[in-house]
Amino acid sequence: MSHKRKETVDLGLRQFIKDLGYISGGAALLATTPWLQSFTPDKARELKREKARIGLIGTGSRGQYHIHSLLPLEHAEIVALCDIYPPNLESASRLCPQARQYADYRKLLESKDIDGVVISTPLDCHAPMVLAALSAGKHVFCEKSMALTLDECKEIYDAYKDTDRVVYFCMQWMFDEKYIKGVHMIHSGLIGDVVGARCHWFRNHDWRRPVPSAELERQINWRLYRASSAGLMTELACHQLEVCNWATQRMPESVLGMGDIVYWKDGREVYDSVSLTYRYGNGVKITYESLISNKYNGMEDQILGNKGTMNLATGMYFLESQDNPVNSGIEQLLHQIGNKVFAAVPAAGSSWRPETKKEYKPHYIIEGDYHVNDGLSMIGAVKDGSEEMISAFCQACITGEQGEDIVEEAYCATVLC
Amino acid sequence: MFQPSHNETFYLRHYESPRMSHGFMDRIMGTRFDLLFFDKIPAVSASIWRMVLEELSRLHGMLNRFDPMSEVSLVNQKACRESVKVSNTLWDILVACGDYHRKTVGVFDITKRDFSALHLSWEDRSVFFTDPDFTLDLGGFAKGFALSRILRILLAEGVRTAFVDFGNSAIYGLRHHPYGNSWKVSISNPYRKGEIVEEFALVDGALSTSGNTPEYSEHIVHPRLGEKITCRKMVCVESGDTVEAEVLSTSMMAAAPDQREKIIQSFPHVRFKEIKL
Repeated sequence: MSHKRKETVDLGLRQFIKDLGYISGGAALLATTPWLQSFTPDKARELKREKARIGLIGTGSRGQYHIHSLLPLEHAEIVALCDIYPPNLESASRLCPQARQYADYRKLLESKDIDGVVISTPLDCHAPMVLAALSAGKHVFCEKSMALTLDECKEIYDAYKDTDRVVYFCMQWMFDEKYIKGVHMIHSGLIGDVVGARCHWFRNHDWRRPVPSAELERQINWRLYRASSAGLMTELACHQLEVCNWATQRMPESVLGMGDIVYWKDGREVYDSVSLTYRYGNGVKITYESLISNKYNGMEDQILGNKGTMNLATGMYFLESQDNPVNSGIEQLLHQIGNKVFAAVPAAGSSWRPETKKEYKPHYIIEGDYHVNDGLSMIGAVKDGSEEMISAFCQACITGEQGEDIVEEAYCATVLC
Repeated sequence: MFQPSHNETFYLRHYESPRMSHGFMDRIMGTRFDLLFFDKIPAVSASIWRMVLEELSRLHGMLNRFDPMSEVSLVNQKACRESVKVSNTLWDILVACGDYHRKTVGVFDITKRDFSALHLSWEDRSVFFTDPDFTLDLGGFAKGFALSRILRILLAEGVRTAFVDFGNSAIYGLRHHPYGNSWKVSISNPYRKGEIVEEFALVDGALSTSGNTPEYSEHIVHPRLGEKITCRKMVCVESGDTVEAEVLSTSMMAAAPDQREKIIQSFPHVRFKEIKL
């Protein structure tokens, strides 16, 4: 689905947040999305001509995606690039030729003219790089997931609590309009009590990148090896579990799950098929499934309520009652006879069939054009909140204001993976 | 004795003023079954309901081609290699299907391929297929036939007023509504919620509907041409005979215009209604 390109990269979301605040009351919006409280058009004007000076650590496909988001920002300037893989560094340098180049991130961190760093590196590098950057006094924007191990996540969180620096992890759906408004609708009671969640992410792709020579296999295809990745959980599920916690305003207390290498038996070490059930303290469960050898079901995250279903990924919701009358013809006939009424019974029509899935009338979270992520890109989807989140980070580099709950959301989602 | 499988739901409920019994069963012949009948004390209505359940269950076990142990499945498996003797009920059904095949100028066809490859031997009531890839599908017949058997039970047990709804698409009204002069049944447009496209008043009559819906289309196939019927239309057939109504609604949905004319001429006492949706 298309989207209307905004005049500036982030003004659309800023105005959207302002409008949402007017409609729903600032307090309610603050409760749903506290990290957005300073991301308004007024705040953008306050930045005047100040610029956050940004260094990028990791300039592969995702790093270059962020470069494209940073270049149009009036309040950001890319001053340094770092990568251990020269072809990526050269590609990135062509996008911002004025930026200095580094092969060692520790050297980059020594630069006094860098306010914040954007880390887009393999998962096992996140913890040492984030901790080193905070020690060097830099603000940090790091790709999700937070880190590879539980201990590393805790170490980062402790360091974050001890610092006055700003820390962002790229759980970008927290800045996606349809997720913001959809979760706000859930919190407002639109779908009733949240009674369950069903999330899945399916692809049919080997998840590999081409490798120019064999010794680079683990470096380039780091997602496939246990020393550098937890596979589908940290790379895909993390986003969806974050959304479930956000929607339910809870953290699961237990989980059952299993994973296997079912189809891509090519030497990889991470599962290509996972199925899990998470249980919140109130008994609500998330059913999670991901595999990469069949894409029929695509990517969806459904929050199930007793009055409706919110399908955040597709930007649609469905109501249980008003569109789908439950009274069968025979029930109406019984009611008529009980009330001594003689009227027609809407009994005939298409054959009643067992309770297979019915078509529900969709309602749209956002009126007009919006973007739906098909879940297939390995780099990042268009208009999924990433651009807005990195803009918010650059703003925070200038103002020093940490986006509330951003680290907590990332922490809680990552430890579930 | 009727033995429900673990996933079936069924019940009988009694009401007073007027005295009425409502029997319900889901997942029978691929759909749900509702029976309302009147003026029987609970003990008698329970006995009638038990007979109805047993008969439905028996027919389901006999005619369900998706159950490998059903009589139809066993015939489908064996009759291309050898003559298979069939039960009296299945024999009567196959003979009736042959009659309807002729009367509908070949449109009604339980073989969905070539009815001439189905050979019935009157001497020993056996069946033989001359086409090895051939199976019987009684989908457009079974509900109407089951309704006729249920009606026979109700009449034999002295029920004088009843309304039977088999999956919304096969209905029989015995006598009339307790507060009206018929059983009024309206047809809704499956493509436009709330829109009533036709109304029927049944008195000792059956109504069968066939058509495509947004959720369930292309399930009717022209037997000779093999083409799926995809158009947005519905056919309603009102007849005194439940089997006739069932057979003709499916046939008229699939028939070409010239075939429709011939079918209508063959059944002058039947009311046909084709509705464009």
